[in-house]
Amino acid sequence: MTRLLAAAGILVLLAAPLLTNNSFYQHLMIMVLFWTLLGASWNLLGGYGGQVSFGHAAFLGIGAYVTMIFYLSLGLSPWLGMLAGGIIGALFALPIGLICFRLRGPYFSLATLAVAEIVRLVALNWEQLTAGPMGLLITTLPPISFGGMAINWESKLPFYYLAVALALFAMGLTYLVSRSRLGAYLLAVREDIDCAEAAGIDTVRTRVVALALSAFIVGLAGGFYSLYFRYVDPDAVFAISLSVEMVFIAVVGGLATTPGPIVGALVLVTIAEIFRERFQAGHLIFYGLFMMVVIRYMPEGIWGRLRLLLGRQG
Amino acid sequence: MALLEVSQLRKDFGGLRAVSDLSFQLKRGEILGLIGPNGAGKTTVFNVITGFLPPTSGRLLLEDESLVGLKPHAVVKKGIARTFQIVKPFRNLSVLENVTLAAFLHEPNRSRAEAKAKATLDRVQLCGKAKANAADLTLSEQKLLEIARALATDPKILFLDEPMSGLNPTEVEVSCELVRRIRQDGITVILIEHHMKAIMNISDRVIVLHHGVKIADGTPQAVVQNRDVITAYLGERAA
Repeated sequence: MTRLLAAAGILVLLAAPLLTNNSFYQHLMIMVLFWTLLGASWNLLGGYGGQVSFGHAAFLGIGAYVTMIFYLSLGLSPWLGMLAGGIIGALFALPIGLICFRLRGPYFSLATLAVAEIVRLVALNWEQLTAGPMGLLITTLPPISFGGMAINWESKLPFYYLAVALALFAMGLTYLVSRSRLGAYLLAVREDIDCAEAAGIDTVRTRVVALALSAFIVGLAGGFYSLYFRYVDPDAVFAISLSVEMVFIAVVGGLATTPGPIVGALVLVTIAEIFRERFQAGHLIFYGLFMMVVIRYMPEGIWGRLRLLLGRQG
Repeated sequence: MALLEVSQLRKDFGGLRAVSDLSFQLKRGEILGLIGPNGAGKTTVFNVITGFLPPTSGRLLLEDESLVGLKPHAVVKKGIARTFQIVKPFRNLSVLENVTLAAFLHEPNRSRAEAKAKATLDRVQLCGKAKANAADLTLSEQKLLEIARALATDPKILFLDEPMSGLNPTEVEVSCELVRRIRQDGITVILIEHHMKAIMNISDRVIVLHHGVKIADGTPQAVVQNRDVITAYLGERAA
């Protein structure tokens, strides 16, 4: 049943662009996948491990800037740059984790918030590296050949499939982690840190590993962002609102579930678009109301509720 | 050689000396009871030895290796597992998952860890509840679950913090029987307990703490007749 559902989901994702040539809808689908990626990465640490980070934008921005800078200054292929963005994001996460996981509960969340602000301010002021508030711009993206086919990046379609690949990777990783020892240890950490220690679990290492994995995925997403929009500036990729949005997507979709993030991203991106069209800036009111309704009536998230209704553990 | 050697152990909380220069040895295969009036420092001794609190001073040797400065999980890896006075199961997880988490310590493979967890639940006769939510167990079952979780880490020494408090007489009897069986399996046991009949019954040796100081150390029969012990529990006139 789970496999059937997953296969159907993948088929829909692969076929979806055939439904429309409208580049705005294609853009929306790409955004859903982009947010799936971010939600899934946050879910790994926040959903399974119960470690609420309000600073994941730090890793997103690092991934975006690393990709940009490697490409613009060093001429590194942007695709390798994206990978480098993920890896550097993960490396940056290690010391943060080792320091911040000494803090428990709300203090960890506050620390992540502070770290993200520090990184944003560094990016804003380190002009030699980041061009400060001016931001960085990619004017051309070289086409790549793939299996004899040349893929050029002028249309949205290649980005869509790249986003599908990334989102599936993130969800696959989530699934594997949830089945593994790491996943079990994260649940234990979420439930009770003292108890987890008493069961022989190295709770700091468990959380650091999860944070690094999570930061790796967000770093990749940052790389994707910079290539898709071809422009980054500190307020675009280091904004607190991005960190918060990741939390929303994971919570609305369903914490500690594999498909939760894609459900959350689909619903929230759609709702934001529908209300933005009708109410412009006022759409945030409705967005907020929707969040309140979900949190009040479906604290386990949309997928979490569906799973309860279907009465299974998948 | 003593399995566990505690010497000159001291723990201060600010100006309060909770444990004062405590020394004792734990022999392989024994059941040691740790008793004393409320506030005597028994749980603090447990917390310090198991790494939850750092000692102010003193030495802790498990098979001649120091435990001082180790994090709780590292102490568990060395072979000391514990339960908590106030039971702390992972409430949102099933009974089996609770024990599997601990079995993962020496068995990274999930299906083998689960098999080991099931065998451990069998040992404490909780197998019938494997699928239940830990929060739905009765108190005595939750205490058994904690013991199972500790056993799943393959300990050399099991520290039990009041495993019988709040249990009815039948359950106390079951619990005593379990402790004896655990010892037969080659695990050394040290337990804090207020249930006097039980502790006198199962302990090979009893240590009495009072205001953080060891006031008696001997067989249960010798300890109950010790003047200091009677004074500590009942006051001057009773002694």
